[in-house]
Amino acid sequence: MKRLTRRAVLGGAAAMGVALGARRATAAPVRLNFYFPVAVGGPITKIIDGMVADFEKEHADVTVNAIYSGSYQDTTAKALTAVKSGEPPHLAVALSTDMFTFIDEDAILPFDEIAGSGGKTWLDGFFPAFMANSRAEGRVWGVPFQRSTIVLYWNKTAFRAAGLDPDKAPATWDEMRGFAGKLTRRSGADVAQWGVEIPSSGFPYWLFQGLTTENGAILMNEAGNEVYFDKPEVVEALQYMVDLGRKWQVMPQGIIEWGTTPQDFFERKTAMMWTTTGNLTNVRANAPFPFGVAMLPAQKRRGSPTGGGNFYLFKKTSPAERQAALAFVQWMTTPERAAEWGIKTGYVAVRPDAWTTPAMKRYVANFPAAAVARDQLEFAVAEFSTHDNQRVTKILNDGLQAALTGEKHPAQALADAQSEADRVLRPYRRS
Amino acid sequence: MRSALETAAAWLLALIWILPLAYAGWTAFHPAAYATAFRFDAPLTLANFAAAWQAAPFARYFLNTFLLVTMILAAQLVLCTLAAFAFARIEFRGRAVAFLLVLVQLMVMPDVLIVENYRTMARLGILDSLGAIGLPYMASGFGIFLLRQTFKSVPRELDEAARIEGAGLLQLLWRVYVPLARPVYLAYGLVSVSYHWNNFLWPLIVTNSVETRPLTVGLQIFASTDQGIDWSIITAASLMTTAPLLVAFLLFQRQFVQSFLRAGIR
Repeated sequence: MKRLTRRAVLGGAAAMGVALGARRATAAPVRLNFYFPVAVGGPITKIIDGMVADFEKEHADVTVNAIYSGSYQDTTAKALTAVKSGEPPHLAVALSTDMFTFIDEDAILPFDEIAGSGGKTWLDGFFPAFMANSRAEGRVWGVPFQRSTIVLYWNKTAFRAAGLDPDKAPATWDEMRGFAGKLTRRSGADVAQWGVEIPSSGFPYWLFQGLTTENGAILMNEAGNEVYFDKPEVVEALQYMVDLGRKWQVMPQGIIEWGTTPQDFFERKTAMMWTTTGNLTNVRANAPFPFGVAMLPAQKRRGSPTGGGNFYLFKKTSPAERQAALAFVQWMTTPERAAEWGIKTGYVAVRPDAWTTPAMKRYVANFPAAAVARDQLEFAVAEFSTHDNQRVTKILNDGLQAALTGEKHPAQALADAQSEADRVLRPYRRS
Repeated sequence: MRSALETAAAWLLALIWILPLAYAGWTAFHPAAYATAFRFDAPLTLANFAAAWQAAPFARYFLNTFLLVTMILAAQLVLCTLAAFAFARIEFRGRAVAFLLVLVQLMVMPDVLIVENYRTMARLGILDSLGAIGLPYMASGFGIFLLRQTFKSVPRELDEAARIEGAGLLQLLWRVYVPLARPVYLAYGLVSVSYHWNNFLWPLIVTNSVETRPLTVGLQIFASTDQGIDWSIITAASLMTTAPLLVAFLLFQRQFVQSFLRAGIR
């Protein structure tokens, strides 16, 4: 990459101001720059490098330069910086919710257009719940890769000690509250074990979206230019979340740290926790007691948002490079590869046919909890995502945290968030 | 009485300062189960360090970071010394305006310039190299300002005496100004090295390969947001990557503190 750029620049200088983009049209063997984030533990970079090497063995004319690009936020920043400087990567894995941001920056290409008519079967082969964050303006902009949902983990030993059936997870909000009440153990003024923890640092909107979905609400429209924070169902959901801590006192009050929630679970500081399926491998390796994994409890219905990262194809690339990038994405999402990636990382394999591969069947037979996330996909909805996503999400996060810390009443917090989000989204409603 | 209070306050501040480091030390050398359970019979282990070392090519990253901070500091010292001397002691047209422009650089956060800097590096054709990480920082406005103030405070008599002895401009700079500014150089060097040792976002964005990336990029893979935080491994990795700086600081502590004191009085 380095040498190629330097040569191209010298050539460009010789040609007196020929655009830098011209370098893409020269060489016959295609070189692809591929940005990927690391968001779960484990040797992710090594797994990616291994898959890339396998791909290159089968495609002698394509070289894939897999570039680790930090967290999801770093990846988006790096990709957009490169786009604005006229040197974009050819493809990247980034948050599925950054789709509108990439579209607004005119950075990405729709997959259905590049793949043509032959790509339809491939694109239709993914779980519809995951594709919900890929479609906008009638096109497909992202291909699911490292995806997750929220599930409930529970400590079976703690359930038995509290006189509950260790094999039965709470199925409704009322049950979860009741179970949590029995599981909360106090010693004097201190709490030795909380009933449940729903993390609320960093990105509380994601876990909150589990509650709103279960209460029958949706938070945004498909065009990503309207939000519905102040609907009664949404306020009820926030009231429930706040009451778990303040009124019923079965969950720690205030902000619960996302990063240390699994640690609390391992150390028996909480008997149940809500967190991503991406934690499955971590919990399996570190929980010193038998645990269960269940779908989130229902109120009016079951539900959870999806989460995680999609593949994106970037503009300002040559047709040959686009086709090579597409071939790479298709290769990475074949049923066998999707299954391999899911088993090695703990992400949910993104295609139904990946779950019928022999490797995946063996994995699920040994570890049935892995299939819970797949079964929940039936009830899953698109992750919250709008135009100017980072700002709108921050508005919602701030509102939620204000309610959780007791700074604002839930209804007030959400009404404030609604009017602020409306102000940000107004420019995207014209047309 | 007053001094007892001051001593107590100093101890308190020192305690607050050392706490995160002490926690890191505890967690890094114990199994994950003892991350928040402080018991004296907790078994010691080096497994966290081994695991952290395995997780990324840290040997290469150490080399890169070392080369990077050395290169930046060397270039900064040369450029800032020459520029500061010109601003302090040489009369030329537009000096005030030029110095003002240098000062403006102090007001602009480097992060704002990421896109523009990236474009410049792309045009120069040096993306994904150590040079690209360092180049935007070499002509440091802070360094020029700091040294200019120091040079201005050098007594005129010394300057004139050297001139009478027949010293040329560069000789004058090298024999009179630089030796007198030594504490400032030391203080500035410390700030520069620790800043670039810790810098993350710009190096991440402008580089792509293991051969050019610094330690901080390697450290980032432990901050896996989708999952829980493994404090043991994170603290082990942090201790490992900051160890050279910590050791250097402890060794040269006295000089650093003194030079800061002297540089600060002016």
